[in-house]
Amino acid sequence: MSASHHEEETHDMGLKVLSTSTIHPRVRTVQVSRPEAQDTTFLAATAKGLGVTLKHFARNLFLPMKKLAKRNAAGAPTDETWRNEIETVQYPEEKVTYPERFRGLHRLTLREDGNVRCVACMCCPTVCPAHCITIIPAETDDKGIEKKPAIFEIDELRCVVCGLCVEACPCDAIRMDTGMHARPVEDRADAIETRETMMGRGVRSIAVQGGEGPDWRAHGHEVTKTDVNR
Amino acid sequence: MSTTETPTGTPPAPSGGVPATPPTPPQPAPASNSVTLTIDGQAVTVPKGTNVLEAARTLGIDIAAFCYHPGLPIVAQCRQCLVSVEKNPKLQPSCQQVCGDNMVVHTTDKQSTLARQQMLEFTLLNHPVDCPICDKAGECTLQKLYFDHDNQDSRVDVPKVHKDKAVDLGPTVVLDQERCILCSRCIRTCDVVAGQHQLEFANRGDHEILTTAPGEQLDNPYSLNTVDVCPVGALTAKDFRFTMRAWELEATPSVCNGCATGCNVEIHHKNGRAWRLVPRHNPDVNDYWMCDEGRFTYHDLREERLAAALVDGLPAGWDRALRAAADGLAIGRTSGQFAVVFSALHTNEDNFALAKLAQAWGVSHFYVAGKPPVPARADGRLRVADINPNMAGVKAITEALGLTVKPVYELDPSIRGLLALGDILPGVDPGRLKELEYVAITAHERGPVPHAKVALPTSDWAETSGTITNNKGHVQRMHAAFAPPGQAIAGWEVIVRLASISSTKLSWSHVRDVFKDMTAAVPAWNGLTWAREARPLALRFAGSRG
Repeated sequence: MSASHHEEETHDMGLKVLSTSTIHPRVRTVQVSRPEAQDTTFLAATAKGLGVTLKHFARNLFLPMKKLAKRNAAGAPTDETWRNEIETVQYPEEKVTYPERFRGLHRLTLREDGNVRCVACMCCPTVCPAHCITIIPAETDDKGIEKKPAIFEIDELRCVVCGLCVEACPCDAIRMDTGMHARPVEDRADAIETRETMMGRGVRSIAVQGGEGPDWRAHGHEVTKTDVNR
Repeated sequence: MSTTETPTGTPPAPSGGVPATPPTPPQPAPASNSVTLTIDGQAVTVPKGTNVLEAARTLGIDIAAFCYHPGLPIVAQCRQCLVSVEKNPKLQPSCQQVCGDNMVVHTTDKQSTLARQQMLEFTLLNHPVDCPICDKAGECTLQKLYFDHDNQDSRVDVPKVHKDKAVDLGPTVVLDQERCILCSRCIRTCDVVAGQHQLEFANRGDHEILTTAPGEQLDNPYSLNTVDVCPVGALTAKDFRFTMRAWELEATPSVCNGCATGCNVEIHHKNGRAWRLVPRHNPDVNDYWMCDEGRFTYHDLREERLAAALVDGLPAGWDRALRAAADGLAIGRTSGQFAVVFSALHTNEDNFALAKLAQAWGVSHFYVAGKPPVPARADGRLRVADINPNMAGVKAITEALGLTVKPVYELDPSIRGLLALGDILPGVDPGRLKELEYVAITAHERGPVPHAKVALPTSDWAETSGTITNNKGHVQRMHAAFAPPGQAIAGWEVIVRLASISSTKLSWSHVRDVFKDMTAAVPAWNGLTWAREARPLALRFAGSRG
């Protein structure tokens, strides 16, 4: 900026005082720094941006051709090889891969027999900061498990995608590793995910209730509770 | 107990009704009847015969224990409360160790800390740790003590002993034998509270289980107290099983309306709905216990409720209903053929307000409606034949005001107008009711209420702030746990509105004003005070219960 560094009188905030009021000494006219014309036109920034675009354009145009020519010489070229070199992603057809810890839509994992793993312990609705989880428990015929969710609903409009439900779950019953975004809906009620929808995305979990159990020594430290058999 | 809210409105001595948590509070007693000992460096004086565990509790030192319960005989079975006593080579169970003069007790020294931790590890050997499924999670003594005193991973590398799960013990209780830690509290509860020895241990060692005798059931009328005292989730109530987690509930102190005993209870509620009733300690009334029938009375809070005022059976706004009621009653009132019916199911305040309204109107016919007694219920313990919560209160109020009250089945044939509290009019012919100008002030739409010209909705007992009087004359306070449904308001408030529309002045704006006027008018209740409204206690922060 062009503000002079040779100010006779400087305000606390580093502003140059042009005049002071006679009525009240603290009422003053000061000079504030404004961007100069060369900055306000954004000419330099526009040129810089165009440069980036041109660079990508050139790269998209020439690099694949160069590589293609190289591969052609080597033989067996495929479409994918040169397409991978292009910076631009053809969005609806192609999608960038999300990081491994991306939290997408919820899924309910399944037991070996295909039933829901959730035992309706109510830890996730308790911890949920958005109060978006509704569970109504019911008793099952299985005397070893005893309890299941009759209703398990998540309001995806309310969900803040914090992942605390996954952290809180003692049974590896709920996960957010689908990589899916919340669906666009026309009606608010359609944004409520039901137990069946989330089980439909479900995978079988081999986590052992209450940890690895008495055989924990045999497992060593390599075992992961989140082994997935798709 | 998780709350020590005093049932205020209790008469002065001897029936104080203050539930002191330990039954033996420290008090400067004569030297011969008290002993002074030192626990963790703090001196404490307790009455002779007090055990070390209770003495420590008076100092705020909560010694871990499973099998000890202040209302039950001491067996020193769980060995969890071991403490070291100086000049004694071995650790002593503090529940069984009687305090001696100049005794020096340590609860935090190396030896007793280690003993506590190792006893917990021993207790947890075969415990399934299925807390996500277990209903006791959140109010479990084993969970609490594990976090306080053990807090380590299991070191067991052999398979756990498996026992039966979901064993049907009887009509009310389900047993999970794996979760049971064999403390025998439930066995002693059946012995002491119900006087029936229905539970017993079988087998030995790892394979020891709790069971009933072959072919027998846990079916005594106090069976659900075993669920309350169970320190783990071994015994669960069929009525409450898998409905709510303990930490989701809030507790409001109240009084059971199931019979004239008036057991002190906590209403455990969530989302404007009661989910269970549990007893609240009151040594003068129910000690730590209540009967199963009383526990189930909360179901009725949602049965056939009147949520809007009715005129000729159709919903109407308060204004129209009150005008219709006042017009209808005015006919009978002027002719002198008008009767007021008190209710033994409603609070003292509701009945007193109605009595004052009747006096202001110059009514001369008074009746009382109550459920007929059930002699089979009376067992010399908590259950009595009179299943009306407030017959004593109605009697005290009407006697103090000098009203002659007859049972409602003796309704005079000349009566043309009837203003009745409650939803029962036993012995009155429904055909006759249709001919009367009958106005009902009631919480439920059942019994005679469908025949009423006008029905005005009131709150039911769990939604009411007020007092009821039990068969021993204790005036006990109930706190409102949640809001009544729809347009319903408190009974006394309905009466104030009815008075105001018929140009009678009853200037009460709060139930404590009614209470104040009532205690001034009834000599036996002079000097009773109105306590502040109890704030619901979130069980999430209450620790273990059991």
